[in-house]
Amino acid sequence: MPPWVGPVADYLAGGLRETVLLALVCIAASLLAGVLIGAALTVPSRPLRGAARAYVEVWRGLPIIITLYFIFFVLPIIGIRVDTFTAAAVGLSLWGSANTAEVVRGALRSVPRGQDEAAAALGFSWTGRMRYVLLPQATRRALPPLIGLVVNLTQQTSLAAVIGLLDILEASQRSIERLTLSGGSSHAVPILGAVLAVFFTICLPLTMLSRWYERRLR
Amino acid sequence: MPAVSGYHFDPVFVVHHLGDLGSGLLRTLAISAIGMAGALLAGALLGAISALRIPVARQLVTVYVEVFRNTPLLVQIFFLYFALPEAGLQLGGFTVGWLSLLLWGGAYNAENFRAGFEAVEGGYVEACRALGFARLSAFRHVTLPLGGRIALPSVANTLISVFKNSSFMVAISYPELTETAVNIVAVTFRVFEMFLAIGVIYLGLVWLMSLGAGAVERRFAIPGGH
Repeated sequence: MPPWVGPVADYLAGGLRETVLLALVCIAASLLAGVLIGAALTVPSRPLRGAARAYVEVWRGLPIIITLYFIFFVLPIIGIRVDTFTAAAVGLSLWGSANTAEVVRGALRSVPRGQDEAAAALGFSWTGRMRYVLLPQATRRALPPLIGLVVNLTQQTSLAAVIGLLDILEASQRSIERLTLSGGSSHAVPILGAVLAVFFTICLPLTMLSRWYERRLR
Repeated sequence: MPAVSGYHFDPVFVVHHLGDLGSGLLRTLAISAIGMAGALLAGALLGAISALRIPVARQLVTVYVEVFRNTPLLVQIFFLYFALPEAGLQLGGFTVGWLSLLLWGGAYNAENFRAGFEAVEGGYVEACRALGFARLSAFRHVTLPLGGRIALPSVANTLISVFKNSSFMVAISYPELTETAVNIVAVTFRVFEMFLAIGVIYLGLVWLMSLGAGAVERRFAIPGGH
């Protein structure tokens, strides 16, 4: 093995840890907030529904990069200092929760109306109907697109490199720069190829799981 | 970036930079338009190859789709821009811009169209074949118009994502809208106004595109069907 490979691999592994950590935080936050906001999209209260709708439209509609820049550069102006990891985690979670909410809303609406009405007739409150009737059934429908969203979110963590988080992509960029500066070839093909391979190895099984589950539902 | 104390909101500032933002927006629209058109055509063609189960070509399509869907677009852009020159192929920012969007969107649309084509009831195609249509013309006259309609919402979503993702080109310093804004911010520090302004521009265009997609869906909706 050429001598440059060892140090670069170590450096990329450090970046990968950051990427995985960021992905896990964003997935957890997106699912939690997304289910709540998705449920809010189906409530009878107009103001609450409107607020949830606005949240979803804004954070889904904005390019994620703009959201990341906004959080990273604008929050310090009003006195909130954020590091790159926090900025990336917040920005990606805003996007992820908005998309989760849309999936959850669609899944809730796919549950036949009669179910909700029957539960209401039996005296269940809104939270009771959600908890015991709607969400359990909607979860099955929502699972394949949610797994797809997890894949998407994992891939979007690479955007954190744009605001300077030392994730696997930023680590690869710095490695390429260093190798170029030290005179030799940049080895960009094997290094970026490795980054592609890492993401592919993480994402393909999840994509296949989502597709398998979707087929099983039919 | 240091925290700016006593920040004064100055919306007029954006007006002074409308010229720069305008040319940035034009570049955004240019790479998006080529990327979206290419992603639409490539998606329909590759989706048809998958749905028609054409041997060899179909397997190649699967490999392409899985590779591009299961790796981040940003890494794909970096590969085209930083790694290909090492392999002897130097591409400029504009080319990498539309090409990366086309390849990425094409992979998603291939899957969208395949799913749409395969959702067409088998009976229609069988009836068509029984009437003596060749396989390909059965596809052209039955599967394509019906399956294309089924695929339309997800295809439109992907095309809108292509437009939004044109902002990724900031990572290779191609002066589209986002990069233009970042450059203006770098010399003026008017962070808030600038990102608010381009945020509104992106949101407005995304909203327009959603309206357009909705209109197209209604225009082509099958009367009485869904």
